[in-house]
Amino acid sequence: MKKAEGVIILWWLLFFTLHAEGTSYSLPGKPTLTNCRSPEKETFTCWWEPGSDGGLPTTYHLYYRKESSDAVHECPDYRTAGKNSCFFNKNDTSIWINYNITVVATNARGSTFSDPVEIDVVYIVKPNPPEKVTANVSWNKSWPSLRVSWDPPQKADTRSGWITLIYELRIKLEGEDKWEEHPAGQQKMYNIYSLQSGGTYLVQVRCRPDHGFWSEWSDSTYFKVPDYFPQERSIWIIIMIFSVFIFLILIWAIHMNSHTLKHHILPPVPGPKIKGFDKQLLKSGKSRDAFSSLVGSDFPPTTTNYEDLLVEYLEVYIPEEQGLMLEEGKDLHDGSLKSKSYTSDSDSGRGSCDSHALLVDKSEEEKEVGQKSNQQGGRTEMDLKRPEESPEENILNYSHANVGSPDVSCEKVKTWPSLFSPLTENSSGPLDQPDSPEMAKQHCLSDSLFPPSPLSSPFAPPGHKEVLGSNYQEYSFGNLHPQTGSHQYLRAHGNMNVANIGHKGVPADLQLPPVRSTEYVEVQKVNNENMVLLYRVSSDVEKGCPGRRHTEEYSRLKGVNNDNGLLLLQRMVSEEEMNICPYEDQESSGLTDSGYTTSTAQKSTAYIPPATQVLDERVAGGYVDTSMFTLPIY
Amino acid sequence: MFQLKSWPQFVLLPLAAGVCAVWVGMVCLVFCSRLSGMKAASICGNAQAECHFLSLANLFDRVIQHSARMHGISNDLHSEFELYFLPSKNQVSRVGRNCHTSNILTPNGKENAQRIEREELTEVIMKLLAAWRDPLWHFHQSVARNHRFNGYGSNKSLEMSDMAHELRKGVQKVVEKMQTLGVISNSVGGLASPEALLAADGSGWRFMKDSDLLYCFRRDSNKIQNYLKILKCRIVPEHGC
Repeated sequence: MKKAEGVIILWWLLFFTLHAEGTSYSLPGKPTLTNCRSPEKETFTCWWEPGSDGGLPTTYHLYYRKESSDAVHECPDYRTAGKNSCFFNKNDTSIWINYNITVVATNARGSTFSDPVEIDVVYIVKPNPPEKVTANVSWNKSWPSLRVSWDPPQKADTRSGWITLIYELRIKLEGEDKWEEHPAGQQKMYNIYSLQSGGTYLVQVRCRPDHGFWSEWSDSTYFKVPDYFPQERSIWIIIMIFSVFIFLILIWAIHMNSHTLKHHILPPVPGPKIKGFDKQLLKSGKSRDAFSSLVGSDFPPTTTNYEDLLVEYLEVYIPEEQGLMLEEGKDLHDGSLKSKSYTSDSDSGRGSCDSHALLVDKSEEEKEVGQKSNQQGGRTEMDLKRPEESPEENILNYSHANVGSPDVSCEKVKTWPSLFSPLTENSSGPLDQPDSPEMAKQHCLSDSLFPPSPLSSPFAPPGHKEVLGSNYQEYSFGNLHPQTGSHQYLRAHGNMNVANIGHKGVPADLQLPPVRSTEYVEVQKVNNENMVLLYRVSSDVEKGCPGRRHTEEYSRLKGVNNDNGLLLLQRMVSEEEMNICPYEDQESSGLTDSGYTTSTAQKSTAYIPPATQVLDERVAGGYVDTSMFTLPIY
Repeated sequence: MFQLKSWPQFVLLPLAAGVCAVWVGMVCLVFCSRLSGMKAASICGNAQAECHFLSLANLFDRVIQHSARMHGISNDLHSEFELYFLPSKNQVSRVGRNCHTSNILTPNGKENAQRIEREELTEVIMKLLAAWRDPLWHFHQSVARNHRFNGYGSNKSLEMSDMAHELRKGVQKVVEKMQTLGVISNSVGGLASPEALLAADGSGWRFMKDSDLLYCFRRDSNKIQNYLKILKCRIVPEHGC
């Protein structure tokens, strides 16, 4: 119990002690003199801020000392100016003398002195705001003007010149935030001219001595500007007349320079200028004369020398060793087969196929092997057979020639295709005949066989193999068309020694059919068996199998029979070659189906009119029976 | 764009002249209508007396403006030199400051200033101006020599000195005018009067510091300005008082 009581008492003492700290007595806080002000330079007042009172009643005293004396005086008046203030009346105020003022806070514990402040009354003057601010709206020639007038503050003695006040006023529309300030100098009135009609304005004035502080703004004075309308009509009339005058001058100037303006704003569109063209002639109606200058003298060409135009020609030249090197000439339409290497023939190739070098004895009637002439040109139809066809269907035409002879002239070669035209599209793939030491490409375009045809088929670009094919095909088409008329069959007689034949010249039994047809025969190679592998050049390479050469090897000449017929061995083209081109497939398929498909002239299909049933690698016969050509195998 | 060359000459010249004439005429019309309300302001009326008084007031205004400008310069210099005179901000020394013009009795209040006679007031002004002629020149020399002050201080001190000199001459003219007008009696001594010389004698200013000199002159220039204003409003009150 005692312990508890002691604890309680202890707690109470602690509590009170803590509480008593807030009420401990101490020296008063240090007061501070905030400011001293004089409204008229005759009296002044000083205010101070008391510090903490230290818990005890504190009294404040203000003491001052004047500059030239050491006497300390106390504030004469603590009440006039309110609390914590000291008012110095006129008797106590001396101008141009420094006052040293100190405030002392005193309580029971002690006194605290404030920091002294030195003042000179001249420099602490803050006057009262001006009084009686009046605003009068007057009319000056129908323009409203405002005259604001005021009086100086009452206490400030400006009449004796003791104080010189400088005024400033500000004005604003009712409701706005921004004031418009105007310094007014020492005058007591001010005029304002820029006013809105019907607006309500507020105006305030303040003042300050030449070396002092600004007074507070006076109370707002409201005034309203009555609505007005400008009565100055005379000026407007003058302005209108002047504007009309200027306008007339402008119109006149524009009229005078209308032409120039038009050109400036809308530049003329330049007309066409054609050299030598006279517009006047056109206008006069003589169109012929007008256009005469346009007509060139050299167009259209008056003379058509087709032969000159044709540039492609075949050049056949025989390499030294073996085989024929045929160079495709540019003169396709000419159908001239030109041999580069041959020396004996000076002819460029035209018509050289008609020469004796024909290998094939073309017989018109009897011989079954004939060359179909195609006015369109092309190849002998009979010769056309695709090796990919079923051997049964096709005639194996073999053209076997020894092309190794360098002396084989173009003419000789030319005749070959006339004999058998199985120019197959040869892929670059395997050649069955293989051992040919050389790959010889032979394009034989027989001029004799190939009359210039106005084929719409392409004018093949010179040197292009496809052209050959096209012609070839055309030729083949031509063969089929009844238009072609006569089919001439060429009986191909092959011989092992075709070359010999060639050397001999035109074999007697070889007769060219009178029909002239051109065809392309491409000799792929010449094997060592003295076989010339002829390839038919597809004309349809452009369609999408470019550069593709169907290597249908037909012309494997097995031999030449007694009848001077060429035994042609048909070669089986590899299967893959058959699928090279869809066109080819079509062809092949067509051909396989029918063995002898006829197609329209537009189609470039190679037909190999099967003369006889041909078996692969078999000699179907020494003859290419022309009579068989017209008959489908199936 | 406008091919003026294409216009015939006989059309162009009269047209230009006509346009100019019309334009000038209209401008004149506009302005003349406004000018009709203006009146020529005459500085001096026909009456001699008005003119004299007006001129005295004008003289007073000029002198007052001059003194106001002088006080402004001294005020600027004082506020600027307070930075340099920081050590002298000692309150004790400040209180003990004693201007060399303290012996000149100057009214310390409005009543005193209004009670004093105009001649006496004029005398006070004159004494003050006389008392500051040499110290200002000395002050300028001191400021110019002192490297602490920049060129601005040197220029201003020179200007202040010159202005004080000019103000003395101006006030002298005003006094002469007033004596001519009979406003004040001729008992007012000129610059060469013995009172003025005695007043200006005190060499106590030589022992004053520059800061004190500046402080004292700032106050005295304010006194001069104020006294001149009082004098003016007492003699010619109708103009700006």
